[in-house]
Amino acid sequence: MANYLIRRLNLFIATSLLLIGILFYATHLFPVDLGYALSGIQYPTDAQEAQIIEDYRLDKGSVRQFLAYTGERLSGNLGVSVTSKRPISEELLLALPASFELAFVAGLIALVFGVPLGVIAALTHHSALKKFIMAGTLTGYSIPVFWLGLTLALWFGVKLGWLPISGQINLLYEIRPVTGFMLLDTLLSDSPYRIAAFRDALLHIILPAVTLAVLPFTVVVRITRAAMVNVMGQTYIRAAEARGLPYSKIVLRHALPNALIPLLKHIGLMLGPFASYAIVVEVIFSWPGIGSWLVSGIYQRDYTVIQSGILAVALLIVFSSILIEVLYTLANPLSRKEFYGSN
Amino acid sequence: MLRFTGKLRLRLSSCTLLGLALVGCGPLPVPSGLVYCSEGNPESFNPQTVTSGTTIDATSHQIYNRLIDDNPYTGEFIPALATSWHVSKDGLNYDFELRHGVNFQDRPYFHPTRQFNADDVVFSFERIIDKNNPFHFVSRTGYPFFESIGFEKLIKRVVKLDSDKVRFELNYPDASFMANMATDFAVILSKEYADQLQASGHMSDIDSKAVGTGPFMLVDYVKNEYIRFRRHPGYWGTIPSADQLVFDITPRSTIRLSKLIVGDCSISALPKAGELPVVAAHENLTLESQPGMNVAYWAFNTRKPPLDNIKVRQALAYAIDKQNLLRAVYQDTAVEASGILPPSSWAYTGTALDYQYNPQKARDLLKQAGIRNLSIDIWAMPVARIYNPNSQKTAELIQADLAAVGVRANIVSYDWSVFTRKLSSSNYDSVLIGWSADNSDPDNFYTPLLSCGSVASKSNRSNWCNAQYDKLINRAKVITDKGERTELYRQAEEVIDAEVPLVPLAYAKRMLLKHTDAPPILLMPFGGIGFNDMGNKGQQ
Repeated sequence: MANYLIRRLNLFIATSLLLIGILFYATHLFPVDLGYALSGIQYPTDAQEAQIIEDYRLDKGSVRQFLAYTGERLSGNLGVSVTSKRPISEELLLALPASFELAFVAGLIALVFGVPLGVIAALTHHSALKKFIMAGTLTGYSIPVFWLGLTLALWFGVKLGWLPISGQINLLYEIRPVTGFMLLDTLLSDSPYRIAAFRDALLHIILPAVTLAVLPFTVVVRITRAAMVNVMGQTYIRAAEARGLPYSKIVLRHALPNALIPLLKHIGLMLGPFASYAIVVEVIFSWPGIGSWLVSGIYQRDYTVIQSGILAVALLIVFSSILIEVLYTLANPLSRKEFYGSN
Repeated sequence: MLRFTGKLRLRLSSCTLLGLALVGCGPLPVPSGLVYCSEGNPESFNPQTVTSGTTIDATSHQIYNRLIDDNPYTGEFIPALATSWHVSKDGLNYDFELRHGVNFQDRPYFHPTRQFNADDVVFSFERIIDKNNPFHFVSRTGYPFFESIGFEKLIKRVVKLDSDKVRFELNYPDASFMANMATDFAVILSKEYADQLQASGHMSDIDSKAVGTGPFMLVDYVKNEYIRFRRHPGYWGTIPSADQLVFDITPRSTIRLSKLIVGDCSISALPKAGELPVVAAHENLTLESQPGMNVAYWAFNTRKPPLDNIKVRQALAYAIDKQNLLRAVYQDTAVEASGILPPSSWAYTGTALDYQYNPQKARDLLKQAGIRNLSIDIWAMPVARIYNPNSQKTAELIQADLAAVGVRANIVSYDWSVFTRKLSSSNYDSVLIGWSADNSDPDNFYTPLLSCGSVASKSNRSNWCNAQYDKLINRAKVITDKGERTELYRQAEEVIDAEVPLVPLAYAKRMLLKHTDAPPILLMPFGGIGFNDMGNKGQQ
């Protein structure tokens, strides 16, 4: 077990170092002075200039520079934003929770609606219903997210005027970030308007979360269905049926948990596309998360924001993929062989 | 078919969608305040250091006050921080009596111990003109407006006569001096705050952690998201009725419109002409518009071949169809420009010759100039401005017109802050840009846009310097008779017409969208937006 975890940890470290290496190289390609691209300070004073050279070892060879760069980035010195002149780490800590919140709500929607629908599609003998669910998910899978987002925004926001289509909350509610999750922060705040603020935040998250949920939702339905069909054909299910267990118990206690294991693996594989969808959704709905932060950084030629945004998103994906893989291995008895494997 | 009003719909929908999760429906209670959907990030919180309208809107009338204000309709000056003023007979000395009982804003980073006095006025202007002032070089962008009008050369010194009396000594008479004192750029900072910053070594905070005497104080700014202001309880004028003012930074105009429709903001900046039918379809939205003191133009970089050739510039001016441009981009929200001065100015004569659309003439002129296969870059602003709601579209139309006379055009664009920075390095062929006046004086168009001095201060986007033109506008500046000045400006327009450093395109109306239940806003022909003093200014 320990060996297995160490191997995964090594994988994480190696991938991260490679990533930082690519970023370090790319930083040299920015069409500006290296010190500026690294620190985000366009007009440094003499003291700042000396500090930048000292921090990033700009007077030394490229290996020393790379080590210094890695050290600075990993210790949380991401430089300052070119446009706002504030430390990147501060901005990142504001943007990240907003992205997590959106992803969490979208994931919840996908699972809460996707799993039952997948089970129904697998078990129903009603062929029209099955075909309807499968056709629906295939359609959802094929719709480009930017089109879907804009259509929903146009319909529910502009035409009907039902739902807000931009931002996290009506800005008149002054909510101090505590957890960074707007829905929680509204409830934690001591403002007399906190319930109204919570409901307002809830209304704001509906459209972006639904748009972002469509892709994982369709995948969840399809994977759950395939896995359920597979599991229901297994001998232990037939044995349970033969023993006369109630059907609902067979499905919920014996079949579903086993069917969810492949789902976990697929969630891990889906993280990359999910993250890029999240960036598109954040831009469409002006959600103040890391995606729209990164994209506006690109437009504003904010070199430090670009580097840190890419670093943060990529590290998160790498870390979560490995985490899900570990969870999958722990949950799946069949793959536990790998603990003892020699490879 | 059933039709619901907007509010009822909202209530129905929130009930149906959230009815299960939450008890109670109906419109949500919202704290008192005003949300304004603005179009971009401010570059600084001190208008002295910028020319961008976005920054002016966010700072000048909110955080700060000026010595005097300007009534746009009569051209008269209104007391602000100065209660009265006196001009010496030779026009060289201007004395201002200062207002008593004016408080600076109390912020977590600065607690004022004294009220506004002459030291603050002297400091605010010495910072601009005196290179030895410790704060002069704190501004990395300089003082572009003041540099463009030659303020440094104009002012001999600023003297404190008494704690409530200040004298400006001029090197030569200048008819636009008072108007320039009333512009959005001539704000008053706190000397006490500056001293505190100097002592603590955080001098650059003076332009970001702003302290002023205005009706709203800066609370919080999150880039790309919002600027939050709270009302200044010790304000000397009418204290704002709204508890807070929030600028919701929303660069895309369709998003601003949708935020307005769903009620996330109550006033929204710079609508595109194509969105006006949508506004008309919503009963609870209104459009406020007012002929503006602005001009949109297409400037040629006259220092870069082949645009240094007058014939080429004339050819390009003949090649574009302005009427078509007005139809497609402005849709009745602008009038065709004939010169750089708009009709709402008192010096407007409307006699400037106009280059009427004539592609054949354009081809002939290019042939005469011996230019073949001309290819130029057109820089187009990425954001909507008052004078041009959609530069990209303008550029595309010009591109098509130029193609018809055999000129290839390439459209270049960057994000706004990058755009202005790259423009300043002057390596472009032509740029679609414009100018919104800062005060009612016609000099505010002629000097910053095309004078030789403004080449260095980067507001002369044509990099054009003409001795005859400079002589005319400098003479117009020192006389006060409006008739004589009008005549001189007419002659200046003729020089522009002959030399074509730029092609004026349109005079746009200023437009704002607002909810019908939002407080009344009086739109001014020029200058930044103010959320406190608008209601009462028009009556004076």
